[in-house]
Amino acid sequence: MKNPSSSSVKSRFTRRFLRALIKINRQKPSSSSSREIFLRYRRIRIAADKAMACVIGSRRAWSRAVLRRIKNQKRKRLADSLRRSNGIHGMKKMVAKEEDEISYEQENELRKLVPGVGAMDLCSMLDETAHYVMCLATQVQVMRKIVDFYST
Amino acid sequence: MERIDGTGARSVQKTPEEEATALESIQFTDEIHRLISAPSDNASSFTALLEMPPTQAVELLHSPESANLISNDTFKPPHMEDFKGRLHFPTNIALVERAARFSVFAGEGSNNTNIEKNSVETALNDSSANLKKAVKSEPAETESSQPLVSDPTVETKSAKRKEREKKAKGSAKKSKTAANESSDDAEKLPYVHVRARRGQATDSHSLAERARREKINARMKLLQELVPGCSKISGTALVLDEIINHVQSLQRQVEFLSMRLAAVNPRIDFSFDSILTAEGASLMDSNFPSIVTPLMWPEAQVSGNRQPYQQQWHFDTLQQQVWGREEVCHNYITPENSLLSYDSSANSATLHPNQLKMEL
Repeated sequence: MKNPSSSSVKSRFTRRFLRALIKINRQKPSSSSSREIFLRYRRIRIAADKAMACVIGSRRAWSRAVLRRIKNQKRKRLADSLRRSNGIHGMKKMVAKEEDEISYEQENELRKLVPGVGAMDLCSMLDETAHYVMCLATQVQVMRKIVDFYST
Repeated sequence: MERIDGTGARSVQKTPEEEATALESIQFTDEIHRLISAPSDNASSFTALLEMPPTQAVELLHSPESANLISNDTFKPPHMEDFKGRLHFPTNIALVERAARFSVFAGEGSNNTNIEKNSVETALNDSSANLKKAVKSEPAETESSQPLVSDPTVETKSAKRKEREKKAKGSAKKSKTAANESSDDAEKLPYVHVRARRGQATDSHSLAERARREKINARMKLLQELVPGCSKISGTALVLDEIINHVQSLQRQVEFLSMRLAAVNPRIDFSFDSILTAEGASLMDSNFPSIVTPLMWPEAQVSGNRQPYQQQWHFDTLQQQVWGREEVCHNYITPENSLLSYDSSANSATLHPNQLKMEL
């Protein structure tokens, strides 16, 4: 799973995210009221998610789910953004007893954490999770770098 | 087609070896020629059948006046006579097989014949085995008076054989039409090899279950490699716990970093474009050799810089009130620690908010 194109994913994510940041900065003129910062924070986080999901495209279930979620959020903007629910709840598969070690609660927790794996079988869910973890790590790296750059 | 050439060559080689039956072998070759010439049009009709939709073709195959009957008639008698005449059977079977292969191949393209060849071969093997049995069961002294005795048996046998061949052809056709569609898939899908050890169940369900579990274990191993500090842990449940923690901590880090960005943003409008080029280039190098660079809040920083951060921490609590879903463990990662120990960020998830308060 050492993705050969991970560095290109990284650079593409960086470019997208920086562009989104510029846009956010232009739209919301800088102010230091807490309300403003909170709003900006939310937009930046959505932008980060969206940039990553766009870079991955529709190849993966989780990126599809993220994009869908963002779209839906945009459509009905109201209280949804407050409770940015992770993943799709419900549709819980009954796990057979004999896969002894992976407990039902753990699996459900993972299902909640990784977007878009609500109705998947365990195997592809783990696959998705691996990819998602990798992308999240990249995201964190890039964002941290940007923060470093800006704050020093 | 090379393979056919090979078999032909072998048959040529083989026949001289058996000196006792040299003459018969000559006869065989004649018969082969006959077989080749006779069923060739049958084979073409067979291919014509193959062009049809499968249901139609099967109907045709089952209807008595189809071309198969003719083919069977031309097909059977020669080697029936053969084994009646002399019980030199193995070469006979081989030759029949070869002839059948030839006849099957005669009118067809080279690409689609694998499955068909196999099925036809198996069918022929079956029938030849049956024939062998029948021959063995026949008394040895009936060689001379064969015709009277063996005619009915030959008749029934040939009837049976017709049926069998029809079935074989039908199945071959079905498998061919199915195979044309699914051959790509079959090539792509890797064959999952599961072996049952002693005492393990071997029915298909438990085999499938075992394959699934192996797949899951492979995924778990992969995830274990991805999550830092997880490779030493044994036990699926613990590993999964660690993975969950890791995912949570990564998501929190994203939240936290975007919060920092939001707070930091006002300060940095000026150099955005240069950043985009310079930073993008440096990020593409991608190795992030030392994230250990001691960042921000050094004491030298101005209080004007500090203010947004305080506000931001205020946000933490605010946000936890507003977003009910963050109920798990409010360990927001302090910037220093998370940055210094990013590579082992498993333990960064265990920081406590009071550390954060100490920070400020």
